[in-house]
Amino acid sequence: MPPLDPRSKLISAIFVAGILIALNDWSSQVAGLAILIGVVLLLRLGRAWLSLLKGLGYAAGSFFLIVWVTFDLAAAVVVSLRLLALGTVFFLFFKTTAPEDLSNTLVKLGTPYPFAFVLSASMQFVHVLMQRAANIRDAQRARGIPLEGPLSTFRHLPALLGPLLVQAFKLADELAEAMEARGFGAPGRRFRREPHLKISDWILMTAAAGLFVTVVL
Amino acid sequence: MVLQFEHVSFRYSGISEWGLRDIDLIVQPGEMVLVAGASGSGKSTLCRAATGLIPHFHRGLWEGRVCVDGLDTKDHPVHELFGHVGLTFQNPDAQIFNQTVEAEIAYGLESLGLASAEIERRLSWVSDVAELGPLLNRPPYSLSGGEKQRVILGAILALKPRVVLLDEPFTHLDPGGAERLRTLLHSVRSEGTALIVAEHRLHEAVADADRLIVLNEGKVVADGPPRNVLAEDLFPFGLNLPPLVRFFREQDWKERPLTLDEATAVLKDKFHRGELGRLISSDRLAFKNMGGSQSSANSSEKDSTPMIEVKDLEFGYDGETVLQGVNVTLNRGECVALVGRNGSGKTTLVKHFNRLLKPKRGLIKILGQEAGTKTVSELSRHVGFAWQNPNDQLFQANVRDEVLTGPRVLHAHDRDWCDRLIERFGLEPLLDRSPFQLSEGQKKRVAFATALAVKPELVVLDEPTAGQDEPFRRELAVLMKELRAEGQTVVVVTHDLEFAAQHANRWVVLAEGRVVADGPPNAVMADARVLAASGLRPTQSFQLREALERLGKEFRLDAAP
Repeated sequence: MPPLDPRSKLISAIFVAGILIALNDWSSQVAGLAILIGVVLLLRLGRAWLSLLKGLGYAAGSFFLIVWVTFDLAAAVVVSLRLLALGTVFFLFFKTTAPEDLSNTLVKLGTPYPFAFVLSASMQFVHVLMQRAANIRDAQRARGIPLEGPLSTFRHLPALLGPLLVQAFKLADELAEAMEARGFGAPGRRFRREPHLKISDWILMTAAAGLFVTVVL
Repeated sequence: MVLQFEHVSFRYSGISEWGLRDIDLIVQPGEMVLVAGASGSGKSTLCRAATGLIPHFHRGLWEGRVCVDGLDTKDHPVHELFGHVGLTFQNPDAQIFNQTVEAEIAYGLESLGLASAEIERRLSWVSDVAELGPLLNRPPYSLSGGEKQRVILGAILALKPRVVLLDEPFTHLDPGGAERLRTLLHSVRSEGTALIVAEHRLHEAVADADRLIVLNEGKVVADGPPRNVLAEDLFPFGLNLPPLVRFFREQDWKERPLTLDEATAVLKDKFHRGELGRLISSDRLAFKNMGGSQSSANSSEKDSTPMIEVKDLEFGYDGETVLQGVNVTLNRGECVALVGRNGSGKTTLVKHFNRLLKPKRGLIKILGQEAGTKTVSELSRHVGFAWQNPNDQLFQANVRDEVLTGPRVLHAHDRDWCDRLIERFGLEPLLDRSPFQLSEGQKKRVAFATALAVKPELVVLDEPTAGQDEPFRRELAVLMKELRAEGQTVVVVTHDLEFAAQHANRWVVLAEGRVVADGPPNAVMADARVLAASGLRPTQSFQLREALERLGKEFRLDAAP
C-alpha cells in the first residue's frame, strides 16, 4: 500500500478526535480504543505504543482519580479511556509521518513557510538544548554548587538557567546564520517529497468525515 | 579564478577594531588554501566575507569587493550565492537544523529549487562520497562529532559549489576522523572544487595544501607555497607550527619537510654528508622539545597515597556498557593524558572522579578514602574540572564573583591563593566585567581560574587545546608544569596527541570502554597493537625521533671499529 498523504491523515485524525470527544458513553470509547489498537497492531507499532502507554497511562490514571473524586466513576472511566484513545490517534499520525513531511504538510495547509519550518527545526533544537543543560548541570555540580534534589536546584537556579539561556541565544544566532548560508530565504523552494492526494487519501478523508457527520450531528 | 578579494576591509558594527584590513586574494579552481592565524586574527571573518554572510548577514563597515564564481557578493544576497560557495562553521550543533541526515542534505537542494529526481541523484552521490549511507535516516543529535561534520560537509558538497570553506574542521576530530576528513577533502578537490581551510592545527592539513596564508590582526602577513611561508619568521603570529617544521627550524636547517617521508629523506641525506653527528651524539638536547616529559620530576610522588585509585570500574547507560574492568591509579604530581577515539569512554571515566556518575560496579578511592559515601560537592574540593566549553559554567554578574563561586559555596576561601590565581591568569583588569562580554579565550582563562579556585589536588582539563592558538598552548603548558610542581595531579582528556606527548608523563589509552595501555607516551606509541585497537596515530615528533634513532644505530655501527 502506498503511504498516505500527511494532509489526509491529519484531517482524518482531527475528525476521529472530534468523534471521540463527542461520544460520552464508556462502551463507544472502548469500541473506539479497540479499533485504534487494531490499527496499531496492523501497522506493527505495538511495541512503540506500549512505551507510549507508560507515560500516557500515568496521565490517564491521574485523570481517572481526579474525575472520580470530583464527579463519579462513570465519568472517570469515560475521561480516562478518551485520553488513551486521543493519544493513540495522534500517536498513529506522528508515527507514520516523517518529521520533514510535517512542516511540508503545514505549508500545504496554508501555514507560512518560516513558521512551519521553525516548528519542525525546534525539535532538533530541543535535543541539543537538553544535552547542553545536562553538560551545564555537570559543570556547575563539579564546582561544588549542589544541584541535587528539587529544593537545592531551585535555590541555585541561576547557575543552571543563566548559562542555558546564554547558550540558547547564541545557538539561535549561529543557527540563523547557518540556515541563511543554506538558502533559507531563497524564493522558489521546492520540496523533495511533493505530497499528492491519491484515491486512498480521499477515501480515508470521506470515511472519517462521514463517520463524524453520522455520529455527531 | 573562482574567488577574488580586492582591497577588502570590514569592521563589525559596534566593534572598534577592523576584522579584515585591505585583503587581496585570488583563489583558482581546485586550489587548496590553508589559512592560519592566532585567535581573533580574522579567519572566521574571512570565511564569512567569502560567502556573502558579510556584508548581508553581519552588518558593519565594508570596503572593497569580493567576487565568487563571477558574482559580486555585494550585489547578490546570500541565497543567490550559496550554490556557488559553501561554508562549514565551527560549531557542528549550530548548523544542523533538520530532523534526519537525509533531510539535512536535501535542505539546500530544496532551497535551490531542484526537481526531486535531481535531489535524489545528488543525495545518493553525496552519501557515497562522504560515506553517509548508514546515517541517512538517523536524527542528527544522535551522531558523534565526526559524523556531524561529515553530514554538514555532505550537505554543502551536494550543492556542488565551486568553493568550499571550512572553519576549523579538525578541532573536534579524533585521529581516525581527521584521516577520514583528509581523504574526503582530497576527493572533493580532485573534482576541481577550491578548498579554503582555516585551522589552528596546521600539521593536519599542511601537507595537502597548495598555499598557506597567515593572517594577523585582519591582515595577510604571509601568502605562498607552505614551504616558503614556513621559512619566514612566523613567531609573532602565534601559529602552532607542524612539529616537523618546528624541529627543522630549531636546528637552523633550511629545509621545510611537510611529511615524515620528506623529513626522513632529508635526514638521511644529512647523515650521509656527516651533518648529523652532532645531533645524534647529543640527542638529549635535540629532543628537548619533542619527546614526552619523561618523569613526573616530583618528590612528593613517592611519599603520599595515590590521588585516585580506580578498581575494576564498570559503568553503563540503558543496558549498554560504556566502561568495563577499568583499573587506574593516579599519583600526586603526575600529568596523565586520557586518549582514545570519540566515544571510547574518556569523559565517562573522569566524571567518576567526583561522582558526577556513579559506578555500576567497582571501587574509587580519592586520597585513600572511599568516594562512595561522598557527594559531588564534597568531592569538588579535591577534584576541579575545566570543561571544553567555558560557557557551560559562567553565570555571575562579574568575573570576581564567578571565580569565587566555588570557594563561597564550599566555604573554602583561601584569599592568597585566589589572588594568585587572578594574577596568574591576568584577570585583574576583567574583574568587574561581565563574563559574557569576554572573548572566548578570556572565558577559557576564567574557567581555568574557577576550576582551581578551591585549590583541588586533582585538576581535570577537558580538551583544553581545542580551537586554541599557540600562545594559549604555551601558557597552558607553563600552568600545568606549575601545578605539578606544587604536587597537584593534572588529567588531560584530549585528541591533541602532540600536546599530550609533549606535556604528559603518562598516557592512559581507552578503547571501547577498556584501558588498553597505560604508560609513558613513547612506549604507548611504539606499540602497534595498542595503536590499532585505539585508533591512535603516533605523533610526527615521535616518528621523527624513531627515524633519527634508526639513523643513530647506523651511525654507531659505522663508527664501531
